[in-house]
Order: sequence, then structure tokens, then C-alpha cells
Amino acid sequence: MAEASKGIDPRGPRFGAVITGVLLLITVGLWLDGLIIAAFAVLVYITLVFGWGAFAGVQRHPYGLFFKRVIRPRLKPPAELEDPTPPTFAQGIGLVISLAGLAISLVPGLGLALPIAAALAFVAAFLNSVFGYCVGCQIYLLLVRVGVFGRHRAGLEA
Amino acid sequence: MTPLAVAATLLGLVALATVLGTAWKVSTGRVRRLTGDVVRLPEVPIEGRATLLQFSTQLCAPCAPTRRVLGQIAASTDGVNHVDLDLTHRPDVAARFNVLQTPTTLILDRTGAIRARIGGAPRQADVRAALASILAA
Repeated sequence: MAEASKGIDPRGPRFGAVITGVLLLITVGLWLDGLIIAAFAVLVYITLVFGWGAFAGVQRHPYGLFFKRVIRPRLKPPAELEDPTPPTFAQGIGLVISLAGLAISLVPGLGLALPIAAALAFVAAFLNSVFGYCVGCQIYLLLVRVGVFGRHRAGLEA
Repeated sequence: MTPLAVAATLLGLVALATVLGTAWKVSTGRVRRLTGDVVRLPEVPIEGRATLLQFSTQLCAPCAPTRRVLGQIAASTDGVNHVDLDLTHRPDVAARFNVLQTPTTLILDRTGAIRARIGGAPRQADVRAALASILAA
């Protein structure tokens, strides 16, 4: 079955966003508790997983694969399948935010960038997992409007 | 920070996200009736009694279900057309109609004038109700 071309179970990325959201909240908590290096390490892990999702595609995302192999067989089939491109784009947005947080927090005096980036990414992951909010629906259009995507390019076809 | 203050901050963050999510959920898909400009675009033929003009992009998960909902309404309502316009290569159209999210749907009357606007995935019953009152007018 050509499952990738048919689409993915939309609950997969939402399940992944629950795990990511909890880890981002832990990152903020560790930082507030003064455990800066631990917070940095957890955010590095989150960033690596975002990168995996963004570059390998959300179909090969580790949490997505766990969902597919372990959880999905216990659930009813989804009402409909979803294009994997929007959640892959959302992983890219997560990657940019968390990478920026890590990098800026290394500048002396700008350590606060780490919990701010983690908190922003947490809000996005929470909205996605709990409310089914689609990050790409607004941010991608914004990037099209300022000219980052679209126009003379062929788009972001994976 | 004391453990209590840390816990309170994290709870505050969850509460903030819940408020944002609830506000989004309440506003998304709502039909706003308005009297707007006439839409004149080469991609959008103004025919029949009303046009459902959907704005989409390639990176929009709810756009495909929206396409299906609006397509069904157009197929089952006499004189109603559905046009789906990908804004990826039309930032000018996004700017012209101030589109901030996809899907955004405009309901146009027989003259092409904007009569209603829906930000986010529309609900079938709401679109049918808005259409009925626009067609009756």
C-alpha cells in the first residue's frame, strides 16, 4: 500500500505534539529551576527530533512511527487521511524556533531566549495537539505574503 | 525560583495556551456577513447565483476537507459554484483581500460582490444557512 502518497493518520502528528509539548514544558521548568544545562540538553534533543521530522518527513518521525506501530492498531481507523506536507512544515517551524532559542541563549546575557523559545514552541505544540490547530495555515501564508515562498518558486513540494 | 513558583509559571503557560486555543476554536469557521468589494479575478468566473471562493495553500491541512465540504454544497445547490484558489503564487491576492489564514472562504453573490467571509474550516450547515439568505435576498 502506498500509504505515504495516500496520506497519514492526522492523529499521528497530534500524538507526537503531546510528547513534544510535555518535553518543552519540562525544558521551561528545568530552566526556571536553575538547571540551565539540563534545560539546554532537553531542548537539544527536542531540536534534533524536530530536524528529523522536518528533513526526513513527518511519516518517518520517531513519535509518528511509534503511534503507527503501537497505538494506531488499537484505535478505530481515522475519518480521513491527511497530507503529510503541512505537519512536516510545522516540524520545520519548531526546528527554527528551538534552534534560534539554543543559539541566542549562548550569547552572554541572553540566556532568557531558551525558556522563551521553549514556551513559544510549547504553545504551538499544545494548540496543535489539544485543539487541532494547523501552524502552517497562518505562518506559511505570512511567509508567502512577505515573499519567502511562492511567486516564482515551485513551492515547497517534498 | 521556588518549586511552587516554577509550578505556578508552568501552569500559567498551560492556562495561556488553553485560552488562546479556546479563542481560536470559537472564532474559526464562523461566518461573518458583510458587504464588500466586487471580486474580479481571471481565475474566478462569476456565474450563476453565488460563488464559494476558497483561498488555500499547499501547506494547509484543513484545506482539503474544506474543498470537499464546499464542493458538496456547490454540487447540491442550484446555481452555486465553488472555486479553490491556491495563494502560494498569488501573494497579491492574499494582500488584496487581507487573507491571514487558510482556508479563508468568501461567499460572492451573482454580481461577484463579497457577502460573507469565513476564516478557517467552514461548517457545512453554517455555509448553507448563509447561502440561503444571500440567495433569498
